[in-house]
Amino acid sequence: MSFKWIIARRLVQVSVIALIATPLLGLTFFQGNLSAAALFGIGLADPLAFLQASLAGRVFVASFLGSALLVSAFYLITGGRTFCGWVCPVYLITEIGDKFRGRLGTGGRSYPLATVRWSFAVTLALSLATGIPLFEVLSPIGISTRAVMFKALLPLLLVAVILVVEMFVARRIWCRSLCPAGGFYSLLGRFSPARVGFTRSLCTGCGKCSRVCPVEEVLVPALVDGERQVVSGDCTRCGDCIDICPTRALGVDVWYK
Amino acid sequence: MKSEIPHSGITRRRFLKDGVLVPLALILAGGGLSTLFLRRADVRGFYLRPPGALEEVRFLGACIKCGKCAQACPYNSIRMAGGEAGVGIGTPHIIARDIPCYLCPDIPCAKACPSGALDRSLEDVEKITMGTAVIVDRENCLSLRGLRCEVCYRQCPLIDKAITLQPRHNERTGFHSIMEPVIHREKCVGCGICENACVREKPVIVVIKSPPLQKDSYEF
Repeated sequence: MSFKWIIARRLVQVSVIALIATPLLGLTFFQGNLSAAALFGIGLADPLAFLQASLAGRVFVASFLGSALLVSAFYLITGGRTFCGWVCPVYLITEIGDKFRGRLGTGGRSYPLATVRWSFAVTLALSLATGIPLFEVLSPIGISTRAVMFKALLPLLLVAVILVVEMFVARRIWCRSLCPAGGFYSLLGRFSPARVGFTRSLCTGCGKCSRVCPVEEVLVPALVDGERQVVSGDCTRCGDCIDICPTRALGVDVWYK
Repeated sequence: MKSEIPHSGITRRRFLKDGVLVPLALILAGGGLSTLFLRRADVRGFYLRPPGALEEVRFLGACIKCGKCAQACPYNSIRMAGGEAGVGIGTPHIIARDIPCYLCPDIPCAKACPSGALDRSLEDVEKITMGTAVIVDRENCLSLRGLRCEVCYRQCPLIDKAITLQPRHNERTGFHSIMEPVIHREKCVGCGICENACVREKPVIVVIKSPPLQKDSYEF
């Protein structure tokens, strides 16, 4: 059996949840969640959380900025929305929901991708205006990680609402069109060297990649116009298209322009 | 002349509807729904925040709800608020009657805070200002009724500073004294150990939000 990205990706997704749960076992090498954490004493911070806290709380902590820059640099190198595809637990949950949606044949509508960046901008503007870090309050990422850390299960209702909407109304709408964290990482992803490459001469036009891709619009410039890479920042670098391509027309590539 | 460029199928009408109107409606609906339960946490009463917390409104702005302070607390005093806290969902607070703050000399919770919501430069536990203890139910305070209870005074980590005993004559018996616990707000850090220790079923001494300092214009 050949290597499948999905196996690596599932391993990483589950490891992230396991890492967040380690303090429950009395282990001390990791504290925190995806908003902010410390791994072997190295501070890590969600850049969006840093921006919101700085704008809403009118505070500036240099080490917090450093932690946010470290995380930004990591995702800039690895693909931007790799956070979504590989790390975020909400993406994992909605991915599973999408599998059921496919079988049920419901909620096939999809909404534009560009609104994630609007959502990012609106989140920052509202944080500054209201003095409340709006996304940190409502974030299903925070809610699901705190459910693991502190067994706070009731707020998971919000994640359930997202799941129901995605399964019965609009396919993957949270991750595709609404999540401000996704919006931030899509800005990084546009300039990331880690990309999906496309070899037109190998493509049979079977369309399997478009059907499996959560953000299939990003494949259009390659499949239709013959671009040799997927350049969109909305690509989550999940690798599902590479896995499913029967002729290996899609593969891992690095920045060429 | 017919256009050579194949039409993508996206009309202006469809773009306005799916690209602008629908997301706008979703954002407004989400915003409307959230304001229903997004109220400032202190609207629902006083939340005892961990040591070094900014003033409540700014604290709610700066806290990113990562839970590191709660994980750093060796006594599990700090817990994360649920949905009942409104906009304060996921923020750390202490329920003194369950587990108070035991004032660790190294203040690990404040040191764990990445965002500045808790002041990590805080070094001296006596400089903590979480709240102020107040005897809210004088009728049920055993010391004030003339018994030698004084548990709050003896448990206070800042004994003889934050709480002192003031003896006075017991008018009821005409013979004994009343040892009144007196709280000094400029010394009390609001750790809640007195509230936790109070022997009555409902604590007669509780930690409240520190009243604002006032410039004293009266000379005694």
